[in-house]
Amino acid sequence: MGKFLLLAFRNVFRNRRRTIMTLFVVGGGVAGLLMAGGYFAFMTHGLRESTINNGLGHLQIFTADHFRRDDVRVLDTGIENWREVAARVASAQHVRGVAPRIDFYGMVSNGTKAAGFMGSAVDPDAERSLGFVTRVVEGRDLDAKPSGEVEALVGAGLAKSMGVKVGDGLTVLAMTSDGALNGVDIQIVGIVNSGVAELDARYVRITLAAAQRLLQSDRVTNLVVGLDSTDNTDLAYSELTPRLHGMPQEMTLKKWIDLATYYKQVNTMFNGIFLFMGMIVFFMVLMSSVNTLLMAMLERTREIGTMLAMGTPRLWVVALFMVEATLLGMMGAVAGVVGGNLLGILLNASGLHLPPPPGYTVPMPFRVLHVPAQMIGASLLVIVSLALASILPAIRASRLQIAEALAHV
Amino acid sequence: MNPMDELVKVEEVSRRFPLDHNFVCALDKVSLHVAAGEFLAIAGPSGSGKSTLLNLIGCIDKPTSGRILVDGVDTSKLSPDRMTTLRREKIGFVFQTFNLIPVFTAGENVEFPLLVQGVSARDRRERVAAALEGVGLTERANHRPDLLSGGERQRVAVARAIVHRPALVLADEPTANLDTRNATQLIDLMHDLNRRLGLTFIFSTHDQRLLEHTDRIVRLTDGQVVSDTLNEGVSHGQVPASRV
Repeated sequence: MGKFLLLAFRNVFRNRRRTIMTLFVVGGGVAGLLMAGGYFAFMTHGLRESTINNGLGHLQIFTADHFRRDDVRVLDTGIENWREVAARVASAQHVRGVAPRIDFYGMVSNGTKAAGFMGSAVDPDAERSLGFVTRVVEGRDLDAKPSGEVEALVGAGLAKSMGVKVGDGLTVLAMTSDGALNGVDIQIVGIVNSGVAELDARYVRITLAAAQRLLQSDRVTNLVVGLDSTDNTDLAYSELTPRLHGMPQEMTLKKWIDLATYYKQVNTMFNGIFLFMGMIVFFMVLMSSVNTLLMAMLERTREIGTMLAMGTPRLWVVALFMVEATLLGMMGAVAGVVGGNLLGILLNASGLHLPPPPGYTVPMPFRVLHVPAQMIGASLLVIVSLALASILPAIRASRLQIAEALAHV
Repeated sequence: MNPMDELVKVEEVSRRFPLDHNFVCALDKVSLHVAAGEFLAIAGPSGSGKSTLLNLIGCIDKPTSGRILVDGVDTSKLSPDRMTTLRREKIGFVFQTFNLIPVFTAGENVEFPLLVQGVSARDRRERVAAALEGVGLTERANHRPDLLSGGERQRVAVARAIVHRPALVLADEPTANLDTRNATQLIDLMHDLNRRLGLTFIFSTHDQRLLEHTDRIVRLTDGQVVSDTLNEGVSHGQVPASRV
């Protein structure tokens, strides 16, 4: 076996130029996959963390009726004793903090013009303690205990459409839990830019206390739970689920992944693109390698004839070609992994940025993550591809007529 | 000839090859008996059927008609796998162009038939050393073929052919690519192995230098045996008195 592998190994380097060319193709394919996969991983990892840190949190607690709620009277299904629930949750392992929220909808008016808005009421201190980022591009963030008027942050798009700036006032109208229309004057203390144009065109953020006054309810729609690390989401979920049993209201605990619809769509898209690229690399390596291995087989026709004449089993010849191709694939994979990672390090160090994608307003940094699973996957892909590519030349070699092969020039 | 001594028996063997819409008859009803321990040359001009006959005896081709027995086994009745086994165990080959595996050293080339036979590593080492010593190439064991002269390469090929102690060694034009000095050395070597080990050698040649050292010469012309004579000038082994 050792000598057989030695023969295969030496055969790989028989025609060095051709081997190097094949290694370039195979290694290039692996490196390309690692670059694309590393970038996608960076994008999805970045999107995951920004989705969580932009306010989604790692876990969210709702009443069981929340997902059957009326979008107008949003607090009808809200959490009544939310402080008690928050206290139960806050003491669990890995929990960094709990932030109450009210998501509500209504109309906003500047006196001459009105528009629908999507409101979010928060406890600014709780949000900040969880590290949730509010992208205030002008003005300042909300004060937890404002002295006078109701402070508000509005999206850049909404501010533009309503013709207001920091310091100006607006009136927000929303339906109370009794079904009455209530209104409150707000003072704009900051303009926010989430990066998503559609959201910024409708976004209004006020404090929790102001929203409870507006909606005339002490309830909140949900509690956002922040953890020490996204990796602990499943652990915390398992620990918190029994803690929420036996409450006066039936509670539902949701992981961030269940609520991050956009993240899931992007992730699915990237996975699809990566799979497609993997298929392209697979067939590229397969087709180019079949040609190379067939050439190698033709060049060694007389040698194969000699081996067969000496009584070498034909299966050995098949195995020899397949082992050679597999070795070539392994070397190409190693070259690709090394090359891809080096290229990734260089690109990461270059500080390259890409233009904003559709729907976004900020440039995207180009970074490549080094993902071990992708390295293993891409390596296996090219190794299997080369092993498959060797089947045809191997079978042709094993079926050579010995007398004809010995006479081959 | 005692039938027990017969190693190769060629009976009315013909071999035709298709060419366009016709056939070329490379061998035409050739019969030949070879005893164990013979040193036999098949001579004839190019295209006379020498290589074809060796290929058929060596079980790397099949006759169109007739039958060949090697060591009492009718090769026409063997499956491809049994043919492979027969070649592996009973036949050694020496080729005109040496046909060494270029990525193996001389020693590894000699070792290859033993590797295929599944001989243990220790036995392989011993037998390779003995075979290389037998052809005078012990010191060149670790050289690759491209670092050996033509004569040395062919001696490695001979060592490879005999290392597994086959009943029969077939050599197709073994001196064709060698200069006179190397050709003579090779002939002497093969003759010596024939005498010392009792190995049966059948080789094709039109090299007069080789024929002068041969016990028996079978001449082919146009695929037919035209003469089968003993070389009176050479004294060797158990050669039968009459042939034709």
